[in-house]
Amino acid sequence: MWRATIKSLLARKLRLALTAMAVVLGVGFMAGTLIITDTALHSFDGLFGDVYQGTDVVVQAKTAFMPDQGGPGGGGGQLGDPIPADVLAKVQAIPGVKAADGDVAGLAQITDPATGDAIQNGGAPTIGNSWDPGVTSLIVASGREPSGPTDVLIDAGTAADHHLSVGQSIQVVSTTGSGRFTISGIGRYANSDSLLGATLAIFDLHTAQELFDMGDQYSFIYVASDPGVTPVQLASRVQNALPDGFEAVTSASAAESQSADVNKGLGFLRTALLVFAFVSLFVGAFIIFNTFNIVVTQRTRELALLRALGAGRRQVMTSVLSESVLVGLTASLVGVLVGVGLAVVLRGLLGALGLKLPTGSLVIASRTFIVSLVVGTVITGVAALSPARRASRVSPIEALREGAAPPASLRRRVVGGSLVTAAGVAALLGGLFGGVSNGAALVGLGAMLTFIGVAMLSPLVTEPLGVLLGAPLRRAAPGRLGLENAKRNPRRTASTSSALMIGLGLVVFVSVFAASLRASVTSTLDAVLRADYTVSTTSFQPFSPQVSTDVGAVPGVEAASALRQAQVKIGASSTFVVGVDPASFPKVANVTMESGSFADLNTAGTIIVSHGAALTKHLAVGDTLTTTFPRSGAEHLRVVGVFEQNSLLNDYAISLPTYEANVSQQLDFAVFVTLAPEANPTSVRAGINAVLKRYPDVELSDQTQFKEKEIAQIDQILGLVGGLLALSVLISLFGIVNTLALSNYERIRELGLLRAVGMSRGQIRRMIRSEAVVIALIGAILGLIVGVAFGWAMQRALADQGVSRLSVPFGQLLIMLVIAALLGVVAAIWPARKAAKIDVLQAISYE
Amino acid sequence: MTSEAVARAVGLSKVYGTGGALVTALDAITVSFGAGEFTAIMGPSGSGKSTLLHCLAGLDSPSAGQAFIGDVDITLLPDKQLTQLRRDKVGFIFQAFNLIPTLTAAENITLPLDIAGRAVDPARFDEVVDAVGIRDRLRHRPSELSGGQQQRVAGARALLSRPEIVFADEPTGNLDSKASAELLGFLRAAVKERGQSIVMVTHDAGAASYADRIVFLADGRAVDEMRDPTAERVLDRLKSLEA
Repeated sequence: MWRATIKSLLARKLRLALTAMAVVLGVGFMAGTLIITDTALHSFDGLFGDVYQGTDVVVQAKTAFMPDQGGPGGGGGQLGDPIPADVLAKVQAIPGVKAADGDVAGLAQITDPATGDAIQNGGAPTIGNSWDPGVTSLIVASGREPSGPTDVLIDAGTAADHHLSVGQSIQVVSTTGSGRFTISGIGRYANSDSLLGATLAIFDLHTAQELFDMGDQYSFIYVASDPGVTPVQLASRVQNALPDGFEAVTSASAAESQSADVNKGLGFLRTALLVFAFVSLFVGAFIIFNTFNIVVTQRTRELALLRALGAGRRQVMTSVLSESVLVGLTASLVGVLVGVGLAVVLRGLLGALGLKLPTGSLVIASRTFIVSLVVGTVITGVAALSPARRASRVSPIEALREGAAPPASLRRRVVGGSLVTAAGVAALLGGLFGGVSNGAALVGLGAMLTFIGVAMLSPLVTEPLGVLLGAPLRRAAPGRLGLENAKRNPRRTASTSSALMIGLGLVVFVSVFAASLRASVTSTLDAVLRADYTVSTTSFQPFSPQVSTDVGAVPGVEAASALRQAQVKIGASSTFVVGVDPASFPKVANVTMESGSFADLNTAGTIIVSHGAALTKHLAVGDTLTTTFPRSGAEHLRVVGVFEQNSLLNDYAISLPTYEANVSQQLDFAVFVTLAPEANPTSVRAGINAVLKRYPDVELSDQTQFKEKEIAQIDQILGLVGGLLALSVLISLFGIVNTLALSNYERIRELGLLRAVGMSRGQIRRMIRSEAVVIALIGAILGLIVGVAFGWAMQRALADQGVSRLSVPFGQLLIMLVIAALLGVVAAIWPARKAAKIDVLQAISYE
Repeated sequence: MTSEAVARAVGLSKVYGTGGALVTALDAITVSFGAGEFTAIMGPSGSGKSTLLHCLAGLDSPSAGQAFIGDVDITLLPDKQLTQLRRDKVGFIFQAFNLIPTLTAAENITLPLDIAGRAVDPARFDEVVDAVGIRDRLRHRPSELSGGQQQRVAGARALLSRPEIVFADEPTGNLDSKASAELLGFLRAAVKERGQSIVMVTHDAGAASYADRIVFLADGRAVDEMRDPTAERVLDRLKSLEA
């Protein structure tokens, strides 16, 4: 039987290649995703190891938790209380300490002297630091270390990207303002030129303390040990010398926790990539399933002959299954290789988006290898299971019978499909509205089941949909024949379109959700925003609070109100709290209170919460809300108001004094400006712009521009997700190619007959194209329906959290339909060519 | 009674394979088929009957010589014109698998006209359909028709557009004697009543006896012919050919 299996594999090279293609693509994308995330994480680990080279122990303020998302008070700056100056001397006196430097860290924005623009790579931080001569891991590549109030050392990556060299004068913006500095030197780490796209500006200690408003205090103390003293021993010695509120940790554990933070920050990306890989594999499974189904159907006579010759059912089933496992294993191997190539492409893509991974070698873990092989092989085997079962039921008599057996009834499929769809929808709605803990997983499972269920039911609609879509095709014979071909085997057409439905459905879902989000943001901002102008950076990075003071002083400005934002923990979940000035904020925004009073925020230790937060956390005025800040720990804040959903304040807001008391770093992310009624907008605008010259990192936007900026942020993230999902649509393209090629193979006599009775090659091609377009459009329509339904469910689920409007982008959906039809045309190119080229005589000759 | 030729082969050769495996299917054969005649081609297996038919119909390209439909040397035509010629001037009836399974009987009959984008003459359609006697099966798909009915539908398709010539390749090969007689009677009537030209390859003496003339082939050449045949005479002649 093994020999029969292998022979039958080799005898059908084309079909084999087509089946394998589906597996290769699915596995390739999964392997590529695993490789790229492993490579990213590995390089982060390496980098933090690099950064702490030369340091054995780190002294830092104790924090209640480590924020894992950027933003002021989050990444790249001071999290806890500064370390008093006298601690350094105490640490230096400890036996076993070879060297100890006080370090100052903050945000420093470098300006490109050529363009005058702030240098900012995607969301990467702009790091400012002091030069720590005793412990630094930076290597001065050219020039010298910074010394004196006008020196700055920058990283080699930034220098190379922006053609900066030693001796050049650049503008640097810090928390306290901006100033000009001369590049004294260019530095790099042992194994890399920069910190993953972050910019580095290094000053001498005194200058850094001044720039970051630290007085004579430090952010960190970095300690190097004498030979023979282990970091752990030294850390415990140092710990004993520290005042309360500070801790000494080994540099290894500091690097590990920072690396873990980045890991968490990358979680979104990794999840997105893995979800996408899974979608690819899911779509691929449909194609594999379909291909095996067709191939087994085509081999019915061969299998029946085997049965007639005495092969048992089990043997036939084993033969088909082992064939699939062989194909799955081989194709998965090739898929891993394809994955390596894809990882290189993905790395380039991420680089273009601002996340610069070091261009070292790719990390191909044995886990990647094993998971890819196992998943690829198992999916292929499972996909072949039902065709194999069907094959084993072939009766020997069918070997002798001419023509295909009549199609089985769809009844069982309808019952099964309805049950699966119902279960999927239930899981989906349960995940979205049920308020269960692992909602996302439930939603994912629900979406998958819904897709499978709809795919099972879709043979029911191929006939009517085909008739409807094919109406324009009916006019000419090739179109009519193509349409009939699409309709003649509803299951085959349905499962081919289903592959497209999944990819397109997800793309539609994302675009409906994005459109709803945009519409909601615009309408809430319209309702909330009273300010004439907004000052912020392009990507909402934090900036100096000096800006709001300076802008407020411009004649004609009635109010300039700043917002700050810090990551906190409420209960177990991490969220953001907004710092706001209760006096000026009502002049720049409308806040509608459901209960309590906005002005009560002026009392120390108070908080106001949104309608949605009040609902989910069961909060009312007078309640106490325990909020954990990284620096100050758990604070018991009194709820003094509940406000209607407000996109500027998010879910929780506190006054600026409360913010200052609990958050170490004071940076704004937006300043809203209202003009005095009698002011001349043109001259005030000119005045503000004159002030902002000193702060190249921020820009002035009017209301429309501000809305566009907010929308641009949504578009960037959802565009990436949509783009990745669109790739899975490409995979389904191969499914159409597969189905067409295999169908043509079994209809070769018909093709010959058509050619014999006078159908031209062009008409044959047109016929196949029509079939492909009908298949693609059926998939597209189903995808649109499912996608819009998903989008609607998502919007309803998030209605309380600000996504108040449903917006269906009909124009975009129409374009997607057109693209789907074009994809059909593209998929048909090769099969149509092959069909048109058949040898008529061979095709019609009888065996 | 022989009028001008509707199809001719002039020194037509067809050689398959190369070197030692060379097979000569047609050996410089010259033969012509009269207009308004029902001609049968007979001969032992491997005598080149089917190859001759395929070369004359523009389905196969000869190695040497010429093949004419009317005055057109089809060996010179590129694929596009050949396709058009098959569509407009030639009708086909094959041994089996004559019909497109997704189309109804009626759609199969009008297929060549639909391909050409030409309108169907309803009177002609009725005439042909009634002649083959399948009016009550017009809306059926091929899978719902008997073998004889399928071949009659194929015959109706071949005749509908009044082609210059109809080629039939073993049209009764898969039929029982009653169905064969019906199909052959219908072909014969088309020749007698409407002056249709038909060339049919067959190995069945009974079928050949419906023809006006039989051309006998052996080893790729025309070796003999017979007019107004009867089954007995045909069988006698075949025996002498095979001897």
